[in-house]
Amino acid sequence: MDTVLLTTVHILVAAAVCWLNFITIDMFFKLPEKGGVVGATAIARHIEAGGGSLEGGTMMGNIVSSPDASAGTLLAACGVFIAGIPGGLLAALLVFIGNRICHDRGYAGTTGCLTATFLIYGFTLAGFSAAEFIAGMVIAILSIQGISHVYASRLLSTIWKVRWG
Amino acid sequence: MTPADMALVLCGTVALYAGVRVALEPDTLRKLPFLNVLSFAITGLIALLLPHPLGIVAAAAYFVGSTLESNAIASTYAGGLDRG
Repeated sequence: MDTVLLTTVHILVAAAVCWLNFITIDMFFKLPEKGGVVGATAIARHIEAGGGSLEGGTMMGNIVSSPDASAGTLLAACGVFIAGIPGGLLAALLVFIGNRICHDRGYAGTTGCLTATFLIYGFTLAGFSAAEFIAGMVIAILSIQGISHVYASRLLSTIWKVRWG
Repeated sequence: MTPADMALVLCGTVALYAGVRVALEPDTLRKLPFLNVLSFAITGLIALLLPHPLGIVAAAAYFVGSTLESNAIASTYAGGLDRG
């Protein structure tokens, strides 16, 4: 029973770390500024029409349309779980190729994958398992894309305005 | 129960939840973020179930493929490329 409790706490900590990693890097690469493809802009407009916020919706549209830092964090966790740091670096290369396939000229996904690889590897030295980071990232993306688009887009817009004015 | 087992249960549960949300959402473009959550959960399941170096390639290939599909659906729905 103790191991279940410990793993649950680890997954929640991992979710918070993954959330901060991908939000910070996506904001740094200005994902809420404009849609990378017409589809991302269209998703943003539909989220806004449903009562959400345009900037947050744009970031959510960009997350859907191309592998961004959230995808990079997930694939880094998968890579570190399977093969340690080399696995994370392989994942970063695959995210880079994936960005180009999806007509995304940005580096948010690759950067997020590289930072997450070293972050997750650091946590594995402190007794965490990379599998807990896979679960943590799934919870982190669920909180943004999977519960309420209205509130998630407003939250992202608030963070964006605090950061970039 | 090992951490990998718990991660498997969690990813499976989130995948089922996201699948239900995709089915219930009436607006086509607003289905796509839920579909994105489903892709994340399935990518996690692939990596957890295939702990082999090629498992990373399989997970990334599945994820990039599903993202490209969402990208294509959204862009087509929005009117596609402007060929002026």
